[in-house]
Amino acid sequence: MNAQLRAQVCSLREEVRQFCRESMPAQLLEKSHRHQVLDKADYVQWMKLLHQRGWAAPHWPAAYGGADWTPLQRFVLEDELARQGCPWIIPFGVKYVGPVIYAFGNEEQKARFLPNILSTDEFWAQGYSEPNAGSDLAGLKTQAVRDGDHYIVNGQKVWTTYAQWADWLFCLVRTSHEGKPQAGISFLLIDMQSPGISVNEIKTMDGYRHVNEVWLENVRVPVSNLIGVEGGGWNYAKFLLKNERTAGAIVGQAKHVLERLKQFAYTPQNDQRPIERPALRHTLTNFELRFMALEAAAYDAVEAMMLGHEDGGEASIIKIRGTELYQEVSETLVEAMGMAGVAFDPQALHAATLPPLGPDDAGGIIKEHFYNRAATIFGGSSEVQRNILAKVVLGL
Amino acid sequence: MTTDLETISMLRDSFERYCADHYDFLARSQRLNAATRYSDSTWQALAEFGFLSACLPESLDGLDADAYALGALSEVTGKHMLLEPFLACAVIAPSVLRWLADAALQAELLPLIASGSLKLLLTQDHLQTDCLISDGHLSGRQLGVLHGDIADQFLVPARNSQGQSVLCLVSPEHPNLGKHTYRLVDGRGAANLSFDAVPASLVCSDASRVLEALQQVRDIASAALCAEEQAIAQALLNTTNEYLKVRQQFGKALATNQALQHRMADLYLLSKEIQALTQCARLACSQTPVDRRTLSGARAYCIQAARRIASEAIQLHGGLGITEELQVSHYVRRLMVNASQYGSREEHFEHFAQLSLPEQGAAYV
Repeated sequence: MNAQLRAQVCSLREEVRQFCRESMPAQLLEKSHRHQVLDKADYVQWMKLLHQRGWAAPHWPAAYGGADWTPLQRFVLEDELARQGCPWIIPFGVKYVGPVIYAFGNEEQKARFLPNILSTDEFWAQGYSEPNAGSDLAGLKTQAVRDGDHYIVNGQKVWTTYAQWADWLFCLVRTSHEGKPQAGISFLLIDMQSPGISVNEIKTMDGYRHVNEVWLENVRVPVSNLIGVEGGGWNYAKFLLKNERTAGAIVGQAKHVLERLKQFAYTPQNDQRPIERPALRHTLTNFELRFMALEAAAYDAVEAMMLGHEDGGEASIIKIRGTELYQEVSETLVEAMGMAGVAFDPQALHAATLPPLGPDDAGGIIKEHFYNRAATIFGGSSEVQRNILAKVVLGL
Repeated sequence: MTTDLETISMLRDSFERYCADHYDFLARSQRLNAATRYSDSTWQALAEFGFLSACLPESLDGLDADAYALGALSEVTGKHMLLEPFLACAVIAPSVLRWLADAALQAELLPLIASGSLKLLLTQDHLQTDCLISDGHLSGRQLGVLHGDIADQFLVPARNSQGQSVLCLVSPEHPNLGKHTYRLVDGRGAANLSFDAVPASLVCSDASRVLEALQQVRDIASAALCAEEQAIAQALLNTTNEYLKVRQQFGKALATNQALQHRMADLYLLSKEIQALTQCARLACSQTPVDRRTLSGARAYCIQAARRIASEAIQLHGGLGITEELQVSHYVRRLMVNASQYGSREEHFEHFAQLSLPEQGAAYV
């Protein structure tokens, strides 16, 4: 990476650190450091803070309220925010449906939806996966049948993150059964207040509510909520995926948990620092090496994007290596904590209570460990990512 | 005394039958929401069936169970993820009394253990402690005691005023005995205990006997936990195998993918190694002297292998793997708690290293 890019990267990182020190409310900062469960108000506050700073959607074109940021700037922002342990940037509005609307929506849709996406005055959820359409998303069956100037939607979505908070759902629906499955998919925007929608919690091992089932029974959706054309949904979804290639947060999260493990290793326990144990030192060294490789590969990927010569496998490399490294580091940390790594009261994650054993963030560490067990499954599983590398890059 | 194979089979079958009838996954799941996941009616049922007498001498209608018998029972507790303190209160504590307590104390406490009216709990299996006993009063803390939330009475390793290691029996329910109870990831409970001059009696004041007894605790526990891991590994393998055959994506069963077949073959390999090492562990426990190299090696290997199987089981189940509704993530959490008990994987690994690769490798030069 050339000197000019490096300098740019350094100053942006420092800006992000300063932002964390000076602009985050103390309570939110504290909750983030301990990886406590955040509620809707916390996330909305966080997204609005970012928006005030111009960091909620800087990758959007300036014409739509963004700042035309380069892949490098995006990468560094997300990477550094994650390194600092900041809350998740809720992606459904600013990263997923927003760009689809400004790229493929009509002027009414842009005017209606984009401002509230930027400000997080409306909260979005993603209606993609179904019980029988996970990795095989094109196999989705939720139907939208035309009835005058409405679609009647019937079906079931699953793994819908924060559907319980959502005002709107962007939904992939089947409008045709002819031809290839992909060709019959449309992109619909659905008001979560519509009659016929019910949301049920899916209980997960991490102890807090994030994913849901969304049932749609004869839900009437105005035709004016169709993005683009019928049958264009799969292409819009692919465009959305292309928008997600930088994945700076994956690198930053791996760095964050690695730093936490090192902090643990250097903290004396019973008069000995864990780092003095050869096995742990060896393990940590391997993690450091793997992180170095991950970060270098990520910057190579970003550079390829900037120069326009990607081979299509870049995002898969970052996801595979970043999530797998995260999980192993996290597992090492939880294991090294001994009993403190298995004491877990989900109720305490919502309150500001101290854990019964170990460091203040022990509960949050375990929660993050459990939550991120799914990191190699959601967003395109590691298996799917390897398929992409094999097919798209290697031509196998 | 070696328990004969027929008795072991009968024991395992009746325990398995009890759990199949009363402790299936759905029944257990419903209990996970309770404030205390321990069930006294389950404990009483175990007493009635005689499982709580397994480690008692025959003179007290016990089975004098050896590592093989305990291993068989532990397969059942592992498969059903028993929330009750079988290993800690029905195996370890009475065994410690048999090794260290005088006849009078044994005669007093062992029948109470067998009947289920006393859940006696050893608070730790090593001698690093700040607990001091002086003039019949114990002071200090014991943190992170598994089942400390529901135990009736505690056996606590401590130091006397001469700095020697001893084992104490602490009076139950005393105002100066502080208990901060909490939940663990797998639904079992634990406690941080504080003793502020709580009346306590000496069970054994011979430091070398106490040390040896605590090492024997670790021996049996290692064999028992390997057995839990064997059962859990088998259950995970079976459920994952079935899932791959049934789950369809892209118009075909996941099982048709060769890449996944190879991964399942790898998991099968690991499960066979766990099975073999668990047998080795039982044999190692029954030797004189106990083969601690094998025990620590088996423990270190089985923890890692079972963890790998569990992690792959989640991955191969996709999103369903991390839900509360499926057994998979529950097994993962059971394994986590088990790995925190009676020696960490790292401790067993280091112990195995010391016994396998001595400083002076004279045989290799």
